[in-house]
Amino acid sequence: MTKPRVGFYDLTGCQGCLLSVIFNEDEILNIINAVDIKEFRFIMGEKYDGELDICFIEGGVVSNDDMDVVKKLRERSKIVIALGTCACEGNIQAMRKFHDKKDIEPLTYKKNHQNDDIDEARAIDEVIEVEYKIPGCPPDREEIKEFIKQVLIGKKWHDYKDPVCIECKLRENSCLLDKDVICLGPIIKGGCKAVCTTNGLKCYGCRGLTDDANFEEYFKMMKEKGFRMDEVKKIMDTFMARRVEKALKGK
Amino acid sequence: MTDITLNHIARIEGHARLDLKIEEGKVKECKLGSTEGSRYFQGLLVGRRWDDAPEITSRICGICSSAHGVASVMALEKAFGVKATEQTIRLRELQTIGERIRSHAAHIYFLALPDYLGYKSAVEMAPEFGNEIKRALRLVKLGNEMVTAVSGRVMHQVATQVGGFGKMPVQKELDDFRKRLIEAKKDIFETAKVVAGLKYPEFKSDTQFFSLHEKDKYAVSYGNIKVGETIFKQENYLDVIKEYHEPYSNCNFVVKEGKTYYVGALARVNNNFSNLSGAAKDFCKEVGFKIPDYNSFKNNIAQGIELIHYWEDTIRILEGFKIKREEPARFKANNGHGIAANEAPRGTLWHEYRVKDGKLTFANVIAPTTQQLRNIQDDIAKYVQMMLDSGKKKEEMPLEIEKLVRSYDPCISCATHFLEINWK
Repeated sequence: MTKPRVGFYDLTGCQGCLLSVIFNEDEILNIINAVDIKEFRFIMGEKYDGELDICFIEGGVVSNDDMDVVKKLRERSKIVIALGTCACEGNIQAMRKFHDKKDIEPLTYKKNHQNDDIDEARAIDEVIEVEYKIPGCPPDREEIKEFIKQVLIGKKWHDYKDPVCIECKLRENSCLLDKDVICLGPIIKGGCKAVCTTNGLKCYGCRGLTDDANFEEYFKMMKEKGFRMDEVKKIMDTFMARRVEKALKGK
Repeated sequence: MTDITLNHIARIEGHARLDLKIEEGKVKECKLGSTEGSRYFQGLLVGRRWDDAPEITSRICGICSSAHGVASVMALEKAFGVKATEQTIRLRELQTIGERIRSHAAHIYFLALPDYLGYKSAVEMAPEFGNEIKRALRLVKLGNEMVTAVSGRVMHQVATQVGGFGKMPVQKELDDFRKRLIEAKKDIFETAKVVAGLKYPEFKSDTQFFSLHEKDKYAVSYGNIKVGETIFKQENYLDVIKEYHEPYSNCNFVVKEGKTYYVGALARVNNNFSNLSGAAKDFCKEVGFKIPDYNSFKNNIAQGIELIHYWEDTIRILEGFKIKREEPARFKANNGHGIAANEAPRGTLWHEYRVKDGKLTFANVIAPTTQQLRNIQDDIAKYVQMMLDSGKKKEEMPLEIEKLVRSYDPCISCATHFLEINWK
């Protein structure tokens, strides 16, 4: 069997997703041996511009350069995987849509800064089609490992669709909403083992909205619990500002 | 006239490029800039609730996420006058040290070593140097376990919060960790020997060393700042260092009184030598490492020395360390102003916030790489001139420049990528 040609790429982000691939310390050498890695700048110097069977992309599309890179990767890849929250949901940088650029640019940039920004920071599936998404900030390293295994044996990967609350309850946590903490658990896709809420931190929604997120019920419940809607909305914007805006249109 | 353009220099929080202009054998222009897309973290923090700051700023960097997360938490504690308990301070140090162990190990083996052994990458190196790569992964795992045991997740902390821990670390995990640390002795010392045994170019950076400094302890997350012979309080940082911008870079530059300075392992070892652990000092003697050492390439050796220091010091900290259950501190988070420095694996990191009515009105983050950039640029100009003077072939120069850039460990994932080289 010929080994699949695999590439790991990064647009604008923190490199944490590619690091999460490597952080499978016990298996990474087997993974590397099982595939033909053509480019993976984190651990390799080689550059490659040929065809790819599997292409992992971390980071979001914030600049013309990112736009160019991601389109070219699409053209030469059979399977594209959006890896992590920047690629899947837009992440922190997508919040820039709420600001006037002159307000958020560091003062030191002044007007002579040559900027390559596009209008708004996007997730990659807003620009190109992707076959799979592995969400999370960071994406769960074990999920990445499982994904690679499944794809290698030709199985189809299924996203985790249930809300964070399911895993949170299974871990026997008491509900943060009852402790006056805004938590997005009810409307966010799990698969994270509820790691944040288990450690006493609210769910900020890094894995994205569930397909059937019921905003009406969620907002009603949040209002009843006495939370301010503008504060709930701000937490929702943290990792998925453009996505939330689209989902809420007309609601 | 010869121009050298290195696009896509190994990443510095992503991507960078270098433009060099050479006329009649003299370096006329040397511009090192980041071409990474802007993410506007500081601006985006304004208007957010204070407790969103650690969550958001940890995303600045996957590799230094603990350093950012802890710095953010400490700055907010200063803003609200919250005093962390002794236990919390120790645990956060363990988190920071864990990140440093994994980062140093990965930098040494995956970034630095292939250059010196004549390979394109660690992947290419693996068949011949399987033991070294496996050793690297064991050390990365060790650091990961430490970060996870304290902060709740391998990256982008969840348990480490303002006022204490959202969930207390588990005693057994710390005890097990100490055992594995003791077992890792050989890996730690072998790694330090590997970097001490490499052949480094003769080079002297015209710089001053900048790092946290404590009187009787090797600085991790606390203390004053030492730069050259000057010592100043963290709170006064903007009186001492200045950020400025060049149009060719998406990353600012920083100087102290107009002069460049060096942050990172080499700076910490030079500034805090007397507080290194016994085994680390013995190792320095054994391999002939003496301070001050201004050879930027030897940052690799400094990382090895730090590995030994943290290894020995952490075993000591964890001996008899019994976790007490502590509830997170209660405090009023209305108004305040806080500044905190932390040592990230690759150098000093700054977080500053102003909070009004529970909302952030100002945020300033200065990352280590921002501070390194100017020093690297100056080093490149000097080193290229040295190479021109000694008649080095132009084909050999890019690799040498890359080695120099990588020695700073500008951001671990940052520095592996090979350069596209355009000669005119």
